[in-house]
Parts: sequence; C-alpha cells; structure tokens
Amino acid sequence: MDIRIPIVQAILLVLLAITISIGSNIINTNPIPWFATKLSVADNIDTTTNEPILVAVSLSQAKSFFDDGILFVDARDEGYYEAGHIQGAMKNLFLMELVFNIEEKQSKDKSLVVYCGDPGCGDSEQLAYDLKDLGFTKLYVFKGGWLEWSNAGYPSELGK
Amino acid sequence: MNILFKGPIVLLARLILGSVFIYASLDKILHPQEFATAITNYHVVPFGLENLMALILPWLEFISGICLIAGIMVSGASIMTIIMNIVFIIAISQALARGISIDCGCFSVSSTTEGGDKIGLISLIRDIGYLLLSFIVFYRQQKQFEFFPKSI
Repeated sequence: MDIRIPIVQAILLVLLAITISIGSNIINTNPIPWFATKLSVADNIDTTTNEPILVAVSLSQAKSFFDDGILFVDARDEGYYEAGHIQGAMKNLFLMELVFNIEEKQSKDKSLVVYCGDPGCGDSEQLAYDLKDLGFTKLYVFKGGWLEWSNAGYPSELGK
Repeated sequence: MNILFKGPIVLLARLILGSVFIYASLDKILHPQEFATAITNYHVVPFGLENLMALILPWLEFISGICLIAGIMVSGASIMTIIMNIVFIIAISQALARGISIDCGCFSVSSTTEGGDKIGLISLIRDIGYLLLSFIVFYRQQKQFEFFPKSI
C-alpha cells in the first residue's frame, strides 16, 4: 500500500478540523480565548475594598490571610482532603453543598481562599470561577496549594 | 488472521470507531471551556495551548468519525484515530503513573455536576481497544462501502 495517500488524507482532515474549529469559535456567541491566560499573582492586596476580585496569591500572602482568619476552601477530592489539609479549610463535596456551607459561615462578599494540590493543578481556579459565577466576589486562588503549605510546615490537620 | 482485515469485521470496526468518536466529540464541541480545563489537568500540554487543542481536537474526532462511517478517506481517518488514541493512551498513562486523580474528559466534560468520569485502567484498556480497531481499519485488505476515493 502506498503510504503517501493516507497521510495526505490525514493532513486534509486536520486542516479541515482546524478550519471548522476556528470558524466555530469565531461565530460562537461565547467564544473561548485562543490561548489560555494565567491568573495574575497580586502583590499588593487591598482586602478592605468592596470591588469584586479574583486573583492568585503567594504562599506568604496565603499565610497572612490564614492568620487573619479568612476562610480556606480545599478544591481537591475528598481522599486528598482527608489525608491532610490546611487547618480549618472547608471540604469541597458538591458545589451547591459547599456554597450552602460557606453561606452558613459568612456572606458572599467576604474573602475566600481557594487552593488545590500543587501549583500545576487547575481545580482551585476552576472552583474559583464557579464560585464567582454564583455571586462570590472576593476570591483568592492560592496557587502553591497543599504542596507549598505543607512544605512550609504551616498549620494543617488530618481527617474529615 | 486475514479474516480480521476483511469484510464484516472491518465494517464493524469502522462503525464502532466512528460512532465512538462522534459521540465523544459532541459534548466537547459544545463545551470547549470545560474541555480546556480537562486538558489542563493532564499537565502534558505546554501552557497556553490547551485552548487551541480544546477547540481543534473535538472537531478532528467528529470529522474522523464521520469519514469512517461514511466511507470517505477511510485510510486517512484511521491514521487520525491511531494518532489520537496513542496520544490519549500516553496522556492517561502518565497521569496514572504520577498518581493524579483527574477527570477523564473522554466523553463527557461536564462531569463536575454528575459524579465524574475519572481516569483509570478501564479508560486505558478502552483506548487500547480503539487503537486495535483503528489498526484493523488501516490495514484492511478489502475496501467495502467506501465512496471517496472510490473502492475498486
């Protein structure tokens, strides 16, 4: 069998897919950016402002939030949470249940820190965007997550 | 062995692969943002390219599926399903090897609301099965119900 013909066909299929996907994203009423953008890490955070905010924070900033008693939410799965999490962090079971639990403690305009496993995991950002959609206005994503926190030896706890 | 690459088995393989790929593509085409997140979670795509991949890959799956079923450029479509399944197998294996628990993003990408479809050995074995089917189609010896290029 001549291998060139199938390869040319495959290339045609790829070009067709690229054309259609670009076209569909252009005409889509809700297009996504061509390249993913990272959350910027804020250096100076004004916690007194009432402006809605969604930014990434560093380990030291997260620690100072922790010292101020700001609520932490663990975006990871239950198993990881039970194996160790930031002291007092809230468990993420189902989004609506989480929202209910948060609202029992504080209103939607109070600060929240969301974190997951390590700087590479996407769960914390995803959860932050979900919470933002549900009306929470002051969201901080602690990108370093459990990895940086536990390496730094900051207060943590086990179990449910 | 030859029986594998002739007649009804090839047709069946084309039908199964085609429907699986079309089915898998639909939810991703409708929800590119969620699919981009699923790709990000695998930690294999260099930063920034997840979105482009989330846009193009579902359409590639869809077009390949249509071609396999409709009998259009079947050889090219089977090359694409071979490549895609190899990529999926590598992505899933590296995630399993590193022990990260993530959503598969294989068929449904809106799993956060409905329990979730986590990666595991099952998804790996499933993809290896699809890879074998793709090879059967690629190395077929009879061309039946193929309309472009015309079977002789």
